[in-house]
Amino acid sequence: MTSAPASASRDTLQAPSTGKRVATGSAPYNEILEFLYDEAALLDQRRYREWQKLLARDLAYTAPLRTTRQGPTRDQTVIRTTQHFDDDYGSINARLERLETKSAWAEDPPSRTRRLVTNVRAWEGAGTGELEVESYLLLTRSRYEYSELQHLSCVRYDRMRRLAAGGLQLARREIILDQSVVGMANLGVFL
Amino acid sequence: MLKKASSKLADGTRIEELIDIERREVSARVLSDPEVYRLELERIFAKAWLLLGHESEIPKAGDYVVRDMGEDQVIVTRDRAGKVNVLLNMCTHRGMRVAMDEAGCTQIHRCVYHGWAFRPDGSFIGAPIEREQMHGNIRPKEELGLRKARVQLYGGLIFATWNIEGPSLDEYVGDLKWYFDLLFCRTDSGLELLGPPQRFIVAANWKAAAEQSSSDGFHTITLHRSLMETGQYGSSQDDIYANAPAMYGIDLSCRQGHSLRCIPAEQTFAMFMTADDFKKLSPEERLERLPPPGISRELLPQLRRHMTPEGLALMAKAPPQVGGMFPNVLVAFIYNPRTDGGYSGALTLHTYVPRGPNHLEFTNFIFAEKDASEQMKRDMMANSVRATGTSGTIEQDDSDVWPHMSRNARGAIGRTQTLKYHALLGQKKPADWPAGGYVYDGFTKDDTQWNWWLYYRELMMADT
Repeated sequence: MTSAPASASRDTLQAPSTGKRVATGSAPYNEILEFLYDEAALLDQRRYREWQKLLARDLAYTAPLRTTRQGPTRDQTVIRTTQHFDDDYGSINARLERLETKSAWAEDPPSRTRRLVTNVRAWEGAGTGELEVESYLLLTRSRYEYSELQHLSCVRYDRMRRLAAGGLQLARREIILDQSVVGMANLGVFL
Repeated sequence: MLKKASSKLADGTRIEELIDIERREVSARVLSDPEVYRLELERIFAKAWLLLGHESEIPKAGDYVVRDMGEDQVIVTRDRAGKVNVLLNMCTHRGMRVAMDEAGCTQIHRCVYHGWAFRPDGSFIGAPIEREQMHGNIRPKEELGLRKARVQLYGGLIFATWNIEGPSLDEYVGDLKWYFDLLFCRTDSGLELLGPPQRFIVAANWKAAAEQSSSDGFHTITLHRSLMETGQYGSSQDDIYANAPAMYGIDLSCRQGHSLRCIPAEQTFAMFMTADDFKKLSPEERLERLPPPGISRELLPQLRRHMTPEGLALMAKAPPQVGGMFPNVLVAFIYNPRTDGGYSGALTLHTYVPRGPNHLEFTNFIFAEKDASEQMKRDMMANSVRATGTSGTIEQDDSDVWPHMSRNARGAIGRTQTLKYHALLGQKKPADWPAGGYVYDGFTKDDTQWNWWLYYRELMMADT
C-alpha cells in the first residue's frame, strides 16, 4: 500500500499527502465513497442547493488548465495561472442563483449527465479531521436530442473535513482535466 | 484557386450574392458550407491580420507558444535578437509538425521525423549527417527555413498575417485605432497576459461567434437575461425590456469591420442607474468614483499621462467595453462591479479559431495591467473566469446557442434562409465627438454587424 499518490511528486499534481492511507473497504473509506456517490447523484439530479450543503464556507474549487509539454518539461502540464474554474463558496452560490433564474439557457433545457466516480484513494490529511481524497471522474453529458455524448475525464483532489456533528464536508477540490482543449462548449456543469 | 472572373461556388452562386446588399441579409449557408469555408481560409485567414497572443508569454530568447492562423498552425517565437517571429509549424522537408507541444523554450526546433533543424527566427540550420548533405544541393539553406508570417506588435499583442505586401496593422485597424489605444496602450508597462488561454471546442461555424463579436449589443438583453434576473444589471425580472440595461450607448465601427461599444455605467448597473449624483459628476470625478474597467485608482495617474483629455473623458463617461476586431477577435474590457470589496473588472480577448465548417475553437486570453497590484490581478482573473470563457456565467449561454445556428444552416431549406440585419440606427456623432470611425449614438442596432459582413464580402470577393 503506497503512502501517497505515486505520481504526486510530479508538479503535474498537487502536493503529496504524507498522511496514513485510509484502507480500502474500511468504515472511514466507505464513508468517503458514500459522500462522493451521494454528491454525484445530487449533481446528476440537479439538486444544487442540497449539493451546496456539502460545501465548506471556505471552499476553494478550481480547475487548472492542462497543456502539452515535451522533453525536460514534459511533466509540467498543469497550469494554475489561468483556470477553467476559479471559485469559492460565494461564487458557487452566485452560479446557483443564476441557475435558478428563468433564463440560464446554457443548462435550460438541462443536460442529462452521469458522473462516473472511480479509483478512489484516501489519506489522512494534515489537519485534524481532514482527509485527502483522490478520485477519477468521467462525466458524460447529453444535450438536446443529439445522440452524441459529450465526455470529460479528470482526476479530482479533494480535501474533506469531518464535521463534529458527523458527516463530511468538501473544503477544497482541484480538478485536473485530461484535455488541453476542452471538448464541450462550456462548463455549465460542476465536476 | 479561383480567379476573379470565376468567383462562383459549385452551384453557380457568386460569392457576392451571399451578402444581399439591398435587403441587408446574409445567406444562412455561410454558417456551414464547406466550400465557403475553404475560400475563407484562403481569402480571410491567409490575408487578414490575426491575433495570436501577447509578448509577455515569450519573455526570453527561445521562448515559444504554438497558435493557429486559420487551420495553419504556427510557432510564435522570440529569437536571440529579441524579435518575435511567427513560423509555419510545418517542416520544409516533408511537412511534419515541428513544435510538438503548446509552449516551451529552445534555441533549436528539431523535427522529430528526419531531424531537420531550425532556429527560433525560422532559419534552417541543417539536416543530420552533415557530410551526406541530406538536404541536397538543389536549394541553398537560405531557402529551406520555416515559412514566416509578417508580424506586428500592438500594445504587446502579437498580430501576424500571411499578406506580406498588404496594409500595415495600423492601416488595418484603421479609424478605430484611436479607441483601441485607450484599451491596449494606456499604462507605463502595458497589458500583461495572466496565463495561457482557456481553449475549448464549440460545434459551430466560426462566424456564428465572430458576427456576434462585431458588437451585437441586442442579444444581451435576451440571451444574457439571467444577469438581469439576478439583479446584477439594472432591472428586475419584470422590467428588463422596459429598462433595457446596456442597450443605450455609442457604437463604433469602420470599413474594416472592427467595432466597439461605448457603454455608460449608468446605462447598465442598478447601483449607478438610480444614482442621480453619478450622472452629474465631471469626468475627473467619475474616474475616481468608478475607474474604467481594469484600472484602479492607483493607476489613474498613468492614464492621465498616456491619454489625451478627450480620451480620458471618454473612458470616464462611456469606455469602450465590448467589440471585436475583424475577423475573429472578441474584445471584452468590461465593468464587473463587485460588492465584496474585491477589485472589479475583467479584461479579456477571445479568438474564434476555425476548426472546419462546423466547429470553432474558443480561445480566451485574460489580461490585467502589468502595473496593477498582485491582489488586483488575482481578483480580475477570478472575475474573468467566472464571467467569460469555459465556465463563465455570461458566455456559457453564447456557446450553447451558436451550434444550433450551424445545424440549421445544413438543412436543404435552412441553408437557403437568410440572417437579417434590418435594424438601422444610422451614423450619428454626439456633439464634440473626439475621434473618427463610423459613430452610432443611441440604441444599439445592426449597423456594426452589417459593416462586418460588408468587409467579409469585400475580402471574399478579392482576387486571390
